Amino acid sequence: MDLAIRTEHLTKIYAGRVIAVNDLNLAVPCGSVYGLLGPNGAGKTTTLRLLLGLQRPTAGRAEVFGHACGVNATQVRQKIGFLPTHPSLPGNLLAIEYLDLLGRIYRIPAEVRKPRLSSLLRAVGLLGATEQRIQTFSTGMRTRLGIAASLLADPPLLIWDEPTAGLDPAARRFTLDLIRDLAKTRTVVVATHILSDIDQICDHVGVMLEGRMIFSGTMNDMKRRLHQDDFIVELDATAEAVQALVAETPNLQGIALGVRNSNSLAVKVLDGRSRARAVADLMGLLDNRSLVLRAIRSGYNETEDAYLQLLQEDHAHGFRRFDFQSLTGTDARSGDLST
Amino acid sequence: MPALAIFQHEWRGLWASWLVRLWLIASVLWTLLTLPEKWARMQTAPLISSLMFPYLVFPWFIIVVFLGITPVTGARLEALSDGILSRPIARYEYFLACWAARVAVVLSVFSLAVVPFTLLITFANRPAPTDSVTWFGAVSAFVVVALVLTFLVSLGFFAGALARRPLVAALLLIFGWFPLMLALHVYSLEEFSPLSLNQALPTLFRTSWSETDADKRRLSNVDIQALGKAGGMFVSMLSGSAEPQKNGKSDFFETFFSKGDYRDFSLTRVIFGYGTPTLIALGLATLVFCRRDL
Repeated sequence: MDLAIRTEHLTKIYAGRVIAVNDLNLAVPCGSVYGLLGPNGAGKTTTLRLLLGLQRPTAGRAEVFGHACGVNATQVRQKIGFLPTHPSLPGNLLAIEYLDLLGRIYRIPAEVRKPRLSSLLRAVGLLGATEQRIQTFSTGMRTRLGIAASLLADPPLLIWDEPTAGLDPAARRFTLDLIRDLAKTRTVVVATHILSDIDQICDHVGVMLEGRMIFSGTMNDMKRRLHQDDFIVELDATAEAVQALVAETPNLQGIALGVRNSNSLAVKVLDGRSRARAVADLMGLLDNRSLVLRAIRSGYNETEDAYLQLLQEDHAHGFRRFDFQSLTGTDARSGDLST
Repeated sequence: MPALAIFQHEWRGLWASWLVRLWLIASVLWTLLTLPEKWARMQTAPLISSLMFPYLVFPWFIIVVFLGITPVTGARLEALSDGILSRPIARYEYFLACWAARVAVVLSVFSLAVVPFTLLITFANRPAPTDSVTWFGAVSAFVVVALVLTFLVSLGFFAGALARRPLVAALLLIFGWFPLMLALHVYSLEEFSPLSLNQALPTLFRTSWSETDADKRRLSNVDIQALGKAGGMFVSMLSGSAEPQKNGKSDFFETFFSKGDYRDFSLTRVIFGYGTPTLIALGLATLVFCRRDL
């Protein structure tokens, strides 16, 4: 598998005291949409800044498309379109001046640069703001300009740090749709703590906590970690009818029923029982009692629960979180937690 | 190309800033206001040298240093990291392009505010006593002052790279460099003190090519002796054993330029005296900036 990003034992310690990134082994496959997930302060932004050479690692190494990252690694940054969180851009410039400057830094010839930057400004909806200095831009406008800047050189790898932070719902929708479109032809890494964003756009995910990668794999791998045998059945019935159903049918084979609220049931499928069979039995029961089914849905937000479950498991592991494999120089966990 | 793009971006940005515009206007006004009172009285060499005093000593010295401090400090650093340095430009490329743009702006302001008046002073028929200013001396003096201004910008860059906050960097320079310059001036060390250099400029203005050529031939002896003497005076000053010279005061510039003994003035020594620290300051500043986390 070709990797767009690969880090080995990447570590960043600030001032010899604060561990921001802790022995991080990251592998981002080419062509994937990789969500870097974690609570605030997990080390996501530091990891991205290490990849861009804006910070120097305390230990370990990072590569982008096989090139080592570093302060002067211009060939690495040539391949990356970076969007920082709440981009802080040169405020004294007009948007078009800023993009033109970046185009020259990317060594894009003028005959390509000029039309491209105007079409990008149009695409991100900033054509009406070309007379304004960047310092007068709102957060959303800055983010949109940052998006245009990251796409200017048509790089094969996009690294976007919290691209939807501070955006209104329409701008958020626009950004997520854009990521989906862009992901058809390039690798995208999105760092965020907004789970629904990850859910909508990513096919791979890495979960960071306290500077460590506690999970890395596909979205399906992550969701599979969740106990999936629970679902909710919503009925068009009174609370009494629902309670009567639960009380009178305690022993449906392999199914445990519970009242969730006035008109819905929490259904747990016990180990070894076919889920499909359990649903069929339950539907038969409802039909016998002439109860009207309104909806069946998963009992949880899968991604959110998988994520929270990962965090809880990590805390529960205590000293077992220490990765003994790293001492022998082999790659740390990937695709699953070490248990 | 990226370095050129940054140079042009900085150049335009600086000329668009009020600081540089006001500085240029103030420089020209200062010259226009101070020139008439000396016009009929002062000889050509000290008169032109007096135009350079604000750049080498006060007040334009502060602006030159401030322009050096600001590119990589404070809020600008964040915009720089997000907006520019995350793109395919090496840090040293950015830093040196920024430095070059600032040096170019400082030298442009200096040239615009001083060169026309220098030509006027040289070619006008003034009632002042005649002077023996040479072309070689005039060009050398401008090169030396340009070198000192480059040194001051580099010093500002070093302070700015060392201290992340512009105020800290400015205080570092004001309370570090200014007293040092005054202390060096006490011993007429024109190779290190811009104040002494300004005092020595009339000597340089009157130097002819042939004199310098002869001076060059004596370089190994005279320069080594003078450097040894200067170093010895500096060390004795630091140890507190030297007695500072006392200046009398009538008209400031006339008194100022008549003081000091600069007969052993050596262009080579002065170029080394400012050139070497310029390279050291720039090299260290680049190194510090390249090793910094953004």
